[in-house]
Amino acid sequence: MKKARKASVASTPAVSPVSTKRQGRREFLIKTGGMLAAGAFAAVPRRGWAADPINIGALYPTTGSMAQIGVGCVAAAKLAAEMVNDAGGIKSLGGAKLNLIISDVQSDTTVTRTETDRLITGNKLSAIHGCYASALTLIASEVAERAKVPLITGSSSDQLNKGRTYTFTPFARASQFAQAQLQMAKLISDKPRVAVIFENTAFGTSTSNGLKELAPGEGVEIVMFEPYSAGFTDASPLINKVKSSGANALFSVSYLNDLILIVRTIKQFGLNIAINGGSGGFVIPDFYKNVGKLAEGLQGVAHWNHDMDANSEKVNAEYRKRTGEFLFEYAGGLVAQTFMLADALERAASADPQKVREALSRLDVSSGFAAMAPGGKVKFGPDGKNIYGHPVGVQWQNGDLASVFPKEDARKPLMKT
Amino acid sequence: MWETVAQAVINGLLIGGIYALVSIGVTLIFGVVKIVNFAQGEFVMIGMYISFFLANQFGIDPLLSLFVSMPVLFGAGVLIQHFLIRRVLGPNDMPQIFLTFALSLLLLNLALMLFTANYRTVHTSYSDEALHVGGLYIPVAKLIAFVVAMALSGALWVFLHTTDLGKAMRAAAQNRDVAMLMGINPNRVFCVALGIALALAGAAGSLLMPFYSAYPFVGQVFVLMAFVAVVLGTLGNVIGALIASLMMGVAESLGIQYVGADSGLIVVFAMLLLTLAFKPTGLGGGRAR
Repeated sequence: MKKARKASVASTPAVSPVSTKRQGRREFLIKTGGMLAAGAFAAVPRRGWAADPINIGALYPTTGSMAQIGVGCVAAAKLAAEMVNDAGGIKSLGGAKLNLIISDVQSDTTVTRTETDRLITGNKLSAIHGCYASALTLIASEVAERAKVPLITGSSSDQLNKGRTYTFTPFARASQFAQAQLQMAKLISDKPRVAVIFENTAFGTSTSNGLKELAPGEGVEIVMFEPYSAGFTDASPLINKVKSSGANALFSVSYLNDLILIVRTIKQFGLNIAINGGSGGFVIPDFYKNVGKLAEGLQGVAHWNHDMDANSEKVNAEYRKRTGEFLFEYAGGLVAQTFMLADALERAASADPQKVREALSRLDVSSGFAAMAPGGKVKFGPDGKNIYGHPVGVQWQNGDLASVFPKEDARKPLMKT
Repeated sequence: MWETVAQAVINGLLIGGIYALVSIGVTLIFGVVKIVNFAQGEFVMIGMYISFFLANQFGIDPLLSLFVSMPVLFGAGVLIQHFLIRRVLGPNDMPQIFLTFALSLLLLNLALMLFTANYRTVHTSYSDEALHVGGLYIPVAKLIAFVVAMALSGALWVFLHTTDLGKAMRAAAQNRDVAMLMGINPNRVFCVALGIALALAGAAGSLLMPFYSAYPFVGQVFVLMAFVAVVLGTLGNVIGALIASLMMGVAESLGIQYVGADSGLIVVFAMLLLTLAFKPTGLGGGRAR
């Protein structure tokens, strides 16, 4: 039976092989017994699918304020689809190729809603991945849930695991990030005295409140807890305040521009303090480009890092060849997600979104590109959360991000600053 | 204790110098041409991008690129006055307001299109250096920016008080009609005023570049402070704008230190409202100087 399918696949690229193929199958049916014949019949519609590529929606902000990261995500999404296709596509569907349908959600929640809707109604999608920013992913996930199309995402909002059945999150959740950050503070000192500064936005407030709630349980003392106006002109007064708080570690919940000012000002003040910049804008190549050598030794947290295993390094090398930069957290996770989808499609042997969802919910991988995650294992719980999911602590070392925490995921020792 | 206060005052004065360059430009245009230039912040942004590209492409120090950004923006100012603002000067204020507002939006969106929203920084040898004086820290890049800003303000004062053109400018600011009767060519004076104002904005951009990131919206950050300083220091008063800018820098810095890092502006605006309540024309006392 396998042989028969292979033969039919090989013949599909020819212009009109239909008649000869039919003949082949008839011959085959006559030669085989009833049981096998039944199996061969089942293969008929499958062969029909072989010509049809499998549509995967990719929703990323390639214009607007998040454009830069969105463009990187699209590059990674294309690379991942190519890798799956070059390896022979989805074999249980006769080597069907993944067809990436990319849509720009313009860093905007309203556009995300209409684009997700348009993508689902306009194409026969088997699954969707996106959208980098949690605020956008939450919207896309709502639309996908209603349309019953599975969505897989690296976005970290815990909200994505509440009351959803078609949403899958293979990587660490926001609440886990805060905990990892606090635990990393203990690498610096047995008695961490942490100053938390955060921009006075929804993002800054919710992240810092998470840190504040978990700190006592982790044995970390918070000596300063200060919101600031995002987009300030001068970080000196704020750093003056950090200095007088006597903190030995600083958590800064900030976007790129503010963080650059903060890091530079700390250096100017000659302040010796361990800085943890969290995730997001802190763990992308652009951060190092802007901050330069001052970034050395700075710590952060990520849901994916390119030094995790041999497969990650391999994808990283290819991505670097194409874009000139290392494969950053979100884009790397996205390559793994594509392979998780491929694994599900393979087992579902169908491009039907409901069946793909079923197969995704039973995903259990511990090797290959689909298992590129901290800990190296992916299996979804009933809430769509990877039961093995956890973040990895990273540090800027020689212009590159090295995994340094927890012990089992560390690839380089923590550099003391 | 005193060290913390002194440090806060130093931080405030240093950033106040940058506010001063932007606000002097706004107040000069208002004083002489009698229009509010809403696009002043965008010219700071252009100054920053000029310095960024010169540093990035040719390795020119942002401070040296002052000699490029200032003349380029002076020229832009002259052209904008001659071809745009001159046409709308008249009894009706609305076209003038919309002209500069449109200019601001146009430049902002052009920058977004050409340069994208990415942050651009230039790293110089002195970007991260600081002088340590008796337990206080004075960042070198900001100190240089402050000194140059004060020198340029001083040079402008000398120009306004000693040269014929400068005197003509002050005359036009005090009473445009009488100045015209005395044989002063208004368009020439206005062109120079616009040129100087934009050159100062360009200088602010170049001076900012060693320690601040350039991005299309960067001007908006500074222009708000500039407008407050212009009102606080009396509209059209150059010395008033300078002093008000420095005061605002210090007020903001002390506010962050003692009220909260997200409330620095509360102190600034409280200061503005109190001043206006007791001195409605601002600290400068109602005369253009």
